[in-house]
Amino acid sequence: MSTRLPEPAGRLIDRTRTVAFTFDGRSYEGFEGDTIASALYANGVRVLSRSFKYHRPRGVFTMAGRDANTLVQVGPEPSVLADRRPITSGLAVTAQNVFGRAERDFGAALDKLGRFMPAGFYYKAFFKPKGSWAYWERVLRRMAGLGTVDVHTPHGPFDKQYLFADVAVIGAGPAGIAAAVAAAKAGAEVLLIDENPYLGGALAWGREDPDGSRLRALEASVAAYPTLSVMTDTVCNGWFEDNWLALIRENRLSKLRARAVVMAAGCDGQPAVFRNNDLPGVMLGSAAQRLIRLYGVKPGSRAVIVTSGAEGYEVALDLRDAGVEIACLADLRQDPPAAPGDTHFPVIAGAAVRAAVPGRGGAGVGGAEVARLSADGRLGTSIDRFACDLIVTTVGHHPAAQLLCQTGARLRYDDDAQMFRVAGLPETVFAAGSVDGIFGLESTIADGTRAGSAAAAAIGLDAKSSERPQSAPAGEGAPWPIFPHAEGKDFIDFDEDLQVKDILSSYAEGYDGIELVKRFSTVGMGPSQGRHSALTAARILSRAAGTTVDGAGVTTVRPPVGPEKIGHLAGRAFQPVRLTAMHHRHVALAARMMPAGAWMRPAYYGTPGDRDAAIHAEVMAVRENVGLIDVSTLGGIDIRGPEAAEFMNRFYTFAYLKQPVGRARYVLATDIGGVIIDDGVACRFGDEHFYVTTTTSTSDSVYRQMLWYNAQWRLKVDIANVTAAYAAVNIAGPKSRDVLAAIAADVDLSADACPYMGVREGLVAGLPARLLRVGFVGELGYEIHVPASCGEALWDALMEAGAAHGIRPFGVEAQRLLRLEKGHIIIGQDTDGLTFPDEAGMGWAVSVKKPYFVGARSVAIQRARPPQRLLVGFEMAKDDPLPEECHLVVRDDTITGRVTSVALSPVLGKIVGLAYVAPDQAEEGTAISIKLTDGRLVTARVVKPPFYDPEGDRQAL
Amino acid sequence: MGVRRRQRPKRRANSASPISACCPRTGFKGWHALAWLREQGIAVPEANNRAGSLAGGGFAARLADTELLLTGSLDGAADTFDGLLAALGEAKPSGVYPVPRSDGSAWLTMTGRHAPSCMAKLCGVDLRSKKFPEGCVAQTSVARLNAVVVRADLGSVFALHLFFDSASAGYFWRCLVDAAAEYRGAPVGVLALRRLAAEVTPATGRTGDG
Repeated sequence: MSTRLPEPAGRLIDRTRTVAFTFDGRSYEGFEGDTIASALYANGVRVLSRSFKYHRPRGVFTMAGRDANTLVQVGPEPSVLADRRPITSGLAVTAQNVFGRAERDFGAALDKLGRFMPAGFYYKAFFKPKGSWAYWERVLRRMAGLGTVDVHTPHGPFDKQYLFADVAVIGAGPAGIAAAVAAAKAGAEVLLIDENPYLGGALAWGREDPDGSRLRALEASVAAYPTLSVMTDTVCNGWFEDNWLALIRENRLSKLRARAVVMAAGCDGQPAVFRNNDLPGVMLGSAAQRLIRLYGVKPGSRAVIVTSGAEGYEVALDLRDAGVEIACLADLRQDPPAAPGDTHFPVIAGAAVRAAVPGRGGAGVGGAEVARLSADGRLGTSIDRFACDLIVTTVGHHPAAQLLCQTGARLRYDDDAQMFRVAGLPETVFAAGSVDGIFGLESTIADGTRAGSAAAAAIGLDAKSSERPQSAPAGEGAPWPIFPHAEGKDFIDFDEDLQVKDILSSYAEGYDGIELVKRFSTVGMGPSQGRHSALTAARILSRAAGTTVDGAGVTTVRPPVGPEKIGHLAGRAFQPVRLTAMHHRHVALAARMMPAGAWMRPAYYGTPGDRDAAIHAEVMAVRENVGLIDVSTLGGIDIRGPEAAEFMNRFYTFAYLKQPVGRARYVLATDIGGVIIDDGVACRFGDEHFYVTTTTSTSDSVYRQMLWYNAQWRLKVDIANVTAAYAAVNIAGPKSRDVLAAIAADVDLSADACPYMGVREGLVAGLPARLLRVGFVGELGYEIHVPASCGEALWDALMEAGAAHGIRPFGVEAQRLLRLEKGHIIIGQDTDGLTFPDEAGMGWAVSVKKPYFVGARSVAIQRARPPQRLLVGFEMAKDDPLPEECHLVVRDDTITGRVTSVALSPVLGKIVGLAYVAPDQAEEGTAISIKLTDGRLVTARVVKPPFYDPEGDRQAL
Repeated sequence: MGVRRRQRPKRRANSASPISACCPRTGFKGWHALAWLREQGIAVPEANNRAGSLAGGGFAARLADTELLLTGSLDGAADTFDGLLAALGEAKPSGVYPVPRSDGSAWLTMTGRHAPSCMAKLCGVDLRSKKFPEGCVAQTSVARLNAVVVRADLGSVFALHLFFDSASAGYFWRCLVDAAAEYRGAPVGVLALRRLAAEVTPATGRTGDG
């Protein structure tokens, strides 16, 4: 069955291109340009979904993507607005929240049980006895819901982008277009945004522009300004501080920063409340007009119209022109003015629809009961029955002011216009058109021009100001289009299946404010966010509470305006990855790479199956021979200037004023609270030059801290983060000197000339290098820092020179074990966000003689108190169960600490580790209990590190 | 200087080119850096976050009262700044320190009229031609990396020069190529950029409004 109308109806569809798709498994055809809803409607399909609670049939209501009736499942994508999503070839659409199909839903039996499910029923019904909610929650979630999430949904290409404009205009109806043109005319760069695929707003589907000439003129005015850009099919989903607007178009979230904003988003038609007002076939007048003019679809065969103003008559004329028989027009007004034009249809003044009568099968409208209204607005008992398949309502408006409310504006009820109006806008935000209560084509255009000019003036452009125009009477609404029925099913919120009695019962329960009513009844909490229920709820509450509608008010509006996908929020992923200059050498050597902050580092060299053996071999190479590790990831900061030593002395805990040139010294940094934040080595290459290393991944934060402090200290130093500019290796092991000496002929590497903690500059393999004789792994060793572009050359030269000595590259895992054997801590692993130097056994690195360092006062305060915990070394037998990092140290029922590092040492032949313990457990020889993952307790013995080479002889060779 | 038409590089709507390996760049920091560079004949821009051309090609970007970034021309020799660095090493003026930009900062150039739209996916600064004219410098975040962005067109072609952490070059490159794909952007070699730079600016003027 097709209900297509001849042209010019259907301005969005291309009748030369048919599109085949399916709904609930059945095949249908529509035209290119159709939405799912319009194509289905044209095929005679009225039921698109089932309601949330009672599984009542629901169909087209706004035809504008403004309600939840048209939410459908499209493939793996749930809750798609069928009246907004275009059909495409092969699109597979299914109904949501149904047991079966939309047309035949076995869950519809719940509709008979509605009386047992008033607002808030589940708060009371399913929480006793204790624990029963766990059962009922599963049942309810199965019975009610919106779509199905497919956890195997393929990843989509979502994107984000920044946009910029002087003036952003939201809504491209006549008011929005006029505003955009006025702002552009004043010289502003303007972005005009609309959620629809066309310009013109109501002008594109209403009756005000019969030959389309006004719309064409407006479109031409937009095209006349090169500084005026248009984004259609774009939803502005949120307003944030400083006119930051979130725009969603397809799979892209655009972040628009505008200097001024004009909101011309229009308004939402409001439903009349009567029994069965949710049946498919009951719709807003604007929905019927959209079906006709945009999609060329005849909305019904015989219609009853209920209205409170001239708008309803225009809709009736449109319906009649489309071949729909008008059974009657019920005008809520007792004494309406003369009907516009030659109506030729029956008009009943002072009357309203009392109930929609279900048609055969109960899934659509079969008739309407029209009753007379008394002078006080109550329905009389005399009823006229009209057979019809369409009931159209135009009884008032509610501003689409979600974005305006997000700016801090308030909605105040206007008793003359019988609608909420916007008040209290920020200086650079303006409202125009019907969102601000201005109706009528000429008035909205004038209002748009006013708002656009004001926006241009607000950003300093020369624009004429004008007065706000008078609204045409088209927007007049009924003060009380609410007709409760004794048998209920008089819905005020289709999303949540709420009826008049639900608001009244909420109030009777003691929820006497609109915010409380919302939370108890859930009114306005569904996908349409109160667009069609907020006004009705406020009216019902005001009458129940004996207050004004303004006094009842509306609930707080928050972003987002409409649904947005997690993909929109995620966008394209930015996960910086840093590679060292020698990265490709590691890959070629079969290194298993691991992340270390943003860096990628070799964990070990070998296959995962040989992991332990590979690490063991690397450890043994360093202990017995020579190993090479890439340490480019260490931060490097140059501190240069006449007060460099003073700066170092203030920033780090140790003493640096007397540090000799050519020597390195350990650095430990604490924050202002005395907590350890970093460590490294300070190399003094000149009186005015320190080169400081930081731990991997802290170079940026340490650098920022240095800049921040020196902005206050104003010392004569220059601080430069040169981390990426240098590649660095550590060559370590008893034969490291021999290997290095072979390619560093001009540097005297003898123990006398370059002792432990000595630093030198010279050429290594012809490359300019900084040499640091340090001993993190506890063997004779040298860190060699060269320009990053020389990193591979250095690596190659050392590997070649070391080949005769059996040099072996080693990774992070071996280094962790080697340093653990030496008892060296790793900041961030053996310390946490609350570790003071003394707790970690680093008190030796804190100078008590100097007057100040960052955190000095906190460290002093901490030292005056008894310690809460201490980091100690422990050891266990080789065959004991191996604890893991973060396993707890327990005493009786008390947690006294945790393991921070632990490993089986191949050199020492036992398990060694570091752990925090209670101070009275820190004595050497104390037995501590460590709780394993499986709950077993193992005993370890506290020992004093280093575990390996306690005298440090090997690194001082 | 013109080039023969058949030799004219194909102008893609958007392109990114790595010029780290061969194009000289360096930097100087310190409280006397700008004054000393002026003494050396370097045309230091008058304001921070401005860039100006250098006599031998390339440009100087003033990042702060205490810092300048220098580039050589696209076909400049690797030792372009060796003389300057040698003079610094000899004089050792207090308050002037070299910044190893060649090793620390990778340099990519994004060209073409869609470059601003492409960059808008990665950066919150308005880099459109009219809003970010020739000689503008932005020190900002691009794809979550600290970056210096310099507008210095190549002949008539809109060009943004990006200086950022060299260790992140692979990541950054992938971000740019990915962002440019929508505009059919693709990598181009430095020779193409050199030709663009050598072209005479046509009367049509520059584009880059994205």
